[in-house]
Amino acid sequence: MKISAGLPTGVSAALFDSVKRRRRLEARLAALLEERGFGEVLLPILDYFEPYRPLLQGRRLEQLYRFVDRDGQLLVLRGDFTPMLARLLAPHLDDLELPLRLYYRGDVVRHQPLRPGRMREYSQLGAELLGGDRTEADFTVLTLFLDLLLQARGGVSPASGDDAALRVVLGIAGALDEPLLSAAGDGAGELALRIASRDRRAARRAGLAEVVERGYPEDLSVLRGAADAVTELLLLRDRLSAEYRDLGIEVEVDLAEFAAATLDPRVGVSAGPRGYYDGLMFAAYAPGTALALGVGGRYDRVFRSLSGDCSAIGFSFGLDLLVELEEVGA
Amino acid sequence: MMTFGLPKGRNLGPARDALAAAGMALTDLDSSRLRQRFGAEGVLGVEVEVLLLKDWDLPLYVEHGIVDCAIVGSDVLEETQPDVFQPLRLLDGRSRLSLIAQTPELPRRSGQLRAATRYPAWAARLLAARNLHVEVLSLTSSIELGPLLDLTDMAVDIVQTGATLRTHDLHEVEVLAQVAPTFVVNRASFHAHRRRLSRLLGALEEAGAAGD
Repeated sequence: MKISAGLPTGVSAALFDSVKRRRRLEARLAALLEERGFGEVLLPILDYFEPYRPLLQGRRLEQLYRFVDRDGQLLVLRGDFTPMLARLLAPHLDDLELPLRLYYRGDVVRHQPLRPGRMREYSQLGAELLGGDRTEADFTVLTLFLDLLLQARGGVSPASGDDAALRVVLGIAGALDEPLLSAAGDGAGELALRIASRDRRAARRAGLAEVVERGYPEDLSVLRGAADAVTELLLLRDRLSAEYRDLGIEVEVDLAEFAAATLDPRVGVSAGPRGYYDGLMFAAYAPGTALALGVGGRYDRVFRSLSGDCSAIGFSFGLDLLVELEEVGA
Repeated sequence: MMTFGLPKGRNLGPARDALAAAGMALTDLDSSRLRQRFGAEGVLGVEVEVLLLKDWDLPLYVEHGIVDCAIVGSDVLEETQPDVFQPLRLLDGRSRLSLIAQTPELPRRSGQLRAATRYPAWAARLLAARNLHVEVLSLTSSIELGPLLDLTDMAVDIVQTGATLRTHDLHEVEVLAQVAPTFVVNRASFHAHRRRLSRLLGALEEAGAAGD
C-alpha cells in the first residue's frame, strides 16, 4: 500500500515556534477568562449523531463528519462546541447554579468548502454564559469578547479618520425576516443572501437600501417584529462604543451582516448557515483578515428545543486568526 | 491606504470609465504596470494602490484581503463563487452567456449531449436548471471550436457582439444569463472602510454607471 507523506485536504500540523506562539496566546486568553469567573470544560471529540439532528440544520448538519463504529453506532466528530455543551447541560439545568460561565478550547472538524483561511480542522476558543438577566448577559459577554480581542491584539491602535483598526458588528438573527418575506415571498431566502452580500439593487427593491448603506433603517418600524430588539441593540452599541472607541474598536450595528442567518433557500425558512442563533449576533473583523476573527450570539432556542428553559449566549474565536492578529499588532 | 484591483482585458475599459464618472479618475494608469499608486484627491479621500490582475485571479485576492475591492466579471464570480460582497454591477461592458450550436435549435441526438465551456460549474448549474442533462467539458480558450470540430454538440460561452459566431457560422440558441462587470469588496475591508466605500458606491450610482 502506498503511504502518503501529506495530510488530508483541509488539515495541517503546527510545529515548533507556531505552537509556542499559539499556546502563549491561549494561556493569556484563558487567564482572562478565569479572571472573569469562567470555568474551563473539556468536551469529547466523539459523540452520537442523533442528538444533533434537532439542533443543527441545513449546512451545519451536512458538514459533520459522521461514521458507523464497530458497535454499529452512528457517531460524529466534534464540529461545534456550543450544541454539544447545550445537549449535555440541558437535562441538568435544575441542578445547576445559574448563571453558569464556561469556556472551552480545542479542535473542531467540518467538511466545508476550502476557502482562504478556512481549514476543515481548526482550533477554537470560546465562552458561554447560561442564565441570568438577558440584557446584562449580552453586555457581559460582549465586553469579554472585546477584551479578549484586545488581549490577543496586544492593545489596539486607535482608529484613524474613516478607518477602524478593529470593527465589531452587531446584528439580530431574523431581524430582516418579515420585510424580506413581504418583499419576496417564496424568494425571501435568495433575497436574504443577496442583501447579506450587500447587493444594493436587491436592498433597494426590498425597501431596505439603508440597511446595506449604513447598517439599519432610519425608520425602525419597517422591521416590524424586530423593531424593539433593534432599538435595544442600538443602546447596546452606544454603551459598548463609549467604553471601547478610544481603544480603537468600532462597534456598529449592521443588520445585513446576518440577513441570511435564518432565511436560507437551501433549507427553507428557519435555518440558515448560523441556524442555531435566534437573537443578538456579533462578529469581529480586522482589515486584511479574510474571515471574521470571532462570531457569537444568543441561542436560547437550542435549550428550548431540548426542553430546557435557559437563556444562553456565547462566542468562539478561530485561534489561528487570533495568532495572525497578534502578529499584526506586534 | 486602500488597495483596488482592476481586471486586465475586456473589463478594464468599462471599470476605468465607471470609476472616472464617479470621481475616481485614475489618470496616467499604465496598463502594462502591475502596481501603481494614486493620490488622496479622489472620491475615496485616501491614497489608493491599484493592482492590475487577471479577471480569474481577482476574486482570490479580494477574498484573502490582499485587495480591498475590485471590479470583476460576474461570469468569473459565478464560476468561482468567492465569499465576497457584491454591492453593484456596472452598466457598461455587459455581455451574455449563451448556448451556441451549429444549428439554430438545440441539437438532437440519441446519446447524452456534450457542451464545451470555460465555466464548467456555472454552465452545469444553468443547464441543470433547464432540465438539460449535458456532459460539460472544460476548455480554456477558443470555446467555439468545440462544436465546430465536433468535440461537443454545443458551447456555453460569452457573447458580446456576436461577430465571432457570424464568422464561424454558429448560432446563439439561447441566452442563459447576463454578465456584467461587478464591484466586489472583501468582508473585513467593507467594515474597515465602510464610509469611504459607501461614498464611492453612491457616486457610481449617481453617475449612472451602475444599475440592474
